[in-house]
Amino acid sequence: MKKMLVGLLALLVALSPLVAAGQQEKKDEPVTLNVLFYSPELAEQYNDMVAEYKKATGVTLDITVLQTDYRSVLTSRLNSGDVPDIFMSSAYADNSTYKDYVYDLSNEDFIKQIEPGALQGVISDGKVTGYPFLVQSHSFIYNKKVFRDNGITTLPKTLAEFEAVAKKLQANGVQPFATGFKEFWVLPQTAWQAIANVPTENYGGYEKFVGMLNSGALKFKDIPQMSQLFDLLDLIKKYGGPKPNESDFNDQTSSLATGKVAMIHQGNWAEDSIRKTNPEVEIGFLVGPTGNNAATAGIMFDSNQTIRIAKDSKNLQAALDWLRWLTTSEYGKNWIPGKVKQLSPIIGAAAPDSYIAKETSALLASGAPGYPWFYQMFPTGTEQQLGAILQGYCAGLTNREQTLDALDAAYAKIAKAAQ
Amino acid sequence: MTQLRRKQLNRGLVFLLFTLPAFAAILVSVEIPFLMSVVSSFTKWNGLDKAQTFIGLENYKELFLDDQDMWKAFGFTLRLTLGSVIAVNLCALLLAVILDSDIKGKNVLRAAFYVPNIISLIIIGYIWRFIFSAGFDSFYQKTGWEIFMLSWLGDVNIVYFSVLLVSLWHSLGFYLVVYIAGLQTVPRDLIEASMIDGANRTKRFFRITLPLIMPSITVCVFHSLSNGLKAFDVIFSLTNGGPGNTTTTIALDIYRTAFVINRFGYGTAKSVVLFLMILILSILQVRVFKRREVEV
Amino acid sequence: MKKHSLPATMVTIVLFILATAYLYPLFLVVINSFKTFSEITSNVLALPKRLVWENFQNAFKIMNYPRYFLNTLLATTVGVCGVVLVSSLAGYKLSRTKTRYSFIMFMILIAPMMIPFHSFMISLVKVAKQLHLIGSPLGLGVLYWGLGSSLALFMYHGAVKSVPQELDDCALIDGASPLRAFFQIIFPLLQPVTVSVVVINTMWMWNDFLLPLLVLSGSKKSLTLQLAAYNFFGLYKVEWNFAMAGVLLTILPAILFYLSLQRYIIKGMVAGAVKT
Repeated sequence: MKKMLVGLLALLVALSPLVAAGQQEKKDEPVTLNVLFYSPELAEQYNDMVAEYKKATGVTLDITVLQTDYRSVLTSRLNSGDVPDIFMSSAYADNSTYKDYVYDLSNEDFIKQIEPGALQGVISDGKVTGYPFLVQSHSFIYNKKVFRDNGITTLPKTLAEFEAVAKKLQANGVQPFATGFKEFWVLPQTAWQAIANVPTENYGGYEKFVGMLNSGALKFKDIPQMSQLFDLLDLIKKYGGPKPNESDFNDQTSSLATGKVAMIHQGNWAEDSIRKTNPEVEIGFLVGPTGNNAATAGIMFDSNQTIRIAKDSKNLQAALDWLRWLTTSEYGKNWIPGKVKQLSPIIGAAAPDSYIAKETSALLASGAPGYPWFYQMFPTGTEQQLGAILQGYCAGLTNREQTLDALDAAYAKIAKAAQ
Repeated sequence: MTQLRRKQLNRGLVFLLFTLPAFAAILVSVEIPFLMSVVSSFTKWNGLDKAQTFIGLENYKELFLDDQDMWKAFGFTLRLTLGSVIAVNLCALLLAVILDSDIKGKNVLRAAFYVPNIISLIIIGYIWRFIFSAGFDSFYQKTGWEIFMLSWLGDVNIVYFSVLLVSLWHSLGFYLVVYIAGLQTVPRDLIEASMIDGANRTKRFFRITLPLIMPSITVCVFHSLSNGLKAFDVIFSLTNGGPGNTTTTIALDIYRTAFVINRFGYGTAKSVVLFLMILILSILQVRVFKRREVEV
Repeated sequence: MKKHSLPATMVTIVLFILATAYLYPLFLVVINSFKTFSEITSNVLALPKRLVWENFQNAFKIMNYPRYFLNTLLATTVGVCGVVLVSSLAGYKLSRTKTRYSFIMFMILIAPMMIPFHSFMISLVKVAKQLHLIGSPLGLGVLYWGLGSSLALFMYHGAVKSVPQELDDCALIDGASPLRAFFQIIFPLLQPVTVSVVVINTMWMWNDFLLPLLVLSGSKKSLTLQLAAYNFFGLYKVEWNFAMAGVLLTILPAILFYLSLQRYIIKGMVAGAVKT
């Protein structure tokens, strides 16, 4: 025992110069930017960009990539003063969450290179509070081969059409959907899309709609079209296999890729995982049903993931230079379409080699509505809370009426706290 | 007089020399941060803004009068704690009794039951998610048993047992080891005396062994109780509180209040209440159990 | 030697079956870490057709294993040594001094056992930042001193009672300084508790996740193995074969540590646990 301990200590002492040396190795280098990002599935792409930037400018980006604990880590680091030079968050409601920390990009020249539509989510009180990272879309992804093999030629648009397709698939022994209900972020994405047409049609636009919800003037239980949302969840659950509440992101992507299921509700970020599982897979993008009106069936299309620059950073200029490089340099402009393979918010950027990105553009060009991610305008924290309540509905814990009451109660509380 | 004074002073200095390092370390890592949090519990603060608004007892009022979610989480935490305290202690005690007897390969067996205890709960959650999904599907294809087709993490009536099963699997080894040690302290002569008296096995266990290993039981129950009340990691990585908040524990609720909804002040108020709850329950439990301990 | 009766043999067999079932989940992890991805998707239970060592090479490389292993070792060693030192000193003195102040001090020092970590972690990071303990494994180790000392001190406090008071007195009469007397005479006698403190704290610090995440995530070079594994899972959400190899590499040191010290561990745990 003693010998072992002594041995261990000796080993440690012998090796600690290595560790220490590692910690101070880059003293004479110009700048190291400290970056906190999420989306670990993009780690390889991040690394590629970091290497390229270092080659071009000599500046190092030290990126930490997290997922589930991202918010708690960011909160404690901001709070303690250990502020990363560059970090990420959602758009809309998060603009005010991080207001004390972010730099206003309004006067930066490179912001003019960004599509005005993509900037909408980051503008707050006339300030550009962040840099739109990607333009993303979510709706139903389907496996083209499975559709072909089962003789489905007309793509569904309405709830009834989706049900007919699901029935047909089920009769042929193919599971129609993998639900993703276990993930608290998938459920709200699926659900809110089903009423994406309602705010503009009935409540004078998204901002007014969310404003009414925030002030309590509007309750979910008073919105008759909430039935569209429940109908869609019921449908997915009914045709979602034997364990609908246990399906997570992994299950969705691998089941779709292998052809075990025909459709999943997901976004373009899922494409990479799907193609990793089965490189030969052919996938397409469907509009999501908003009740039984085919004209309003659309996709959710927005820029939500936002890069924020810390205003008190001692490397502020270097951080801005990096964003400029990302927007204007040859590599930078091409990074998102070429490497990340998603849609870039930069004006005139190339189209990515991605099934979903291509079909997104095609659907929008054909006149299908592209709705903003309006649920991101809800106060911070509603995504998880309302997601859990909807999950309870899908697990049979509450009926529609109880679910609506629970949604209203949770929303009112968070809205009050956020004031 | 100066002699005495100096002696006292000297003794005081030595006392400080020995205790100050621990005091300083604990103050820095736990108590100062906790007091800072207690101060936040009287504020409305999102954990981020530079300004905190003092609101007095509002957070505590909301907590007791108007927070169903928290009380639901409280209920689940109590059920989980009760279940795991009973299950883990019964199973561990039973196994310990068997492994304490003359059995071949008992060292191998002890090691086998202990190994899951070494692995961090984050990884355990990961492993079991894999087993409940991919593993059970394969089992079903092989055996055709309906039990593998149940939705172990998705059915609100079953998920309690899944969580219980995983935490039992993880922690059993630790308690097993403590009970085996306790059993080994029971004097052999007492057992032999009772054998001569003709007491049968069961009687012997309840009349002699059980009272004598009461200290181990106190320790194990205390441990499992406070671990149950603070349960976080296993839930976080296994169910994330779902489906529909049915497996949300208080610790997870606190975490979410503070970091997901960004109500940091309110979250700390909840944690102060949790602290008091653990304190009271622990004191009660130790009192009750200590009374039953017997000295050899 | 007693003869093994038939029922005893039966019990043994049942127990071995039970233990096999008990370790089966880990067995699954092991076999799947050696498979290709398509083998996993087709059948989780089957044995690998050939051992795919590339999974481990991949995990080893991407996790930056050697560096993070050293970081973890450094944080754990600093943490464990510090905890043993401060808590044995304080536990001894508090147990020997029977005044009211001593009792109050004792209560203050063990109260943290009741405080849930999540309730003070944000403020902890704030304090740690002020003291420049953020961003290095060394600083993490120092933070563990306070976090681990309450339980350890509690254990030492109980164990000291079984060391005769006369021993201290003898040493002091010999003219040794109090510190020297403690380290030369008392501390060696507390070895069983020390072993259990070392074991409990090593297992905890090696496997700890949230605190390293909070204080080390700002500097990529200082991560621990648990954090590296966590990042690795994020990266390979779908590719179970890589993830399983990563799991195995992370838990392997802890398992080896346990197996090589099994005898001491069981003794140590017990000594500590029962004394509390």
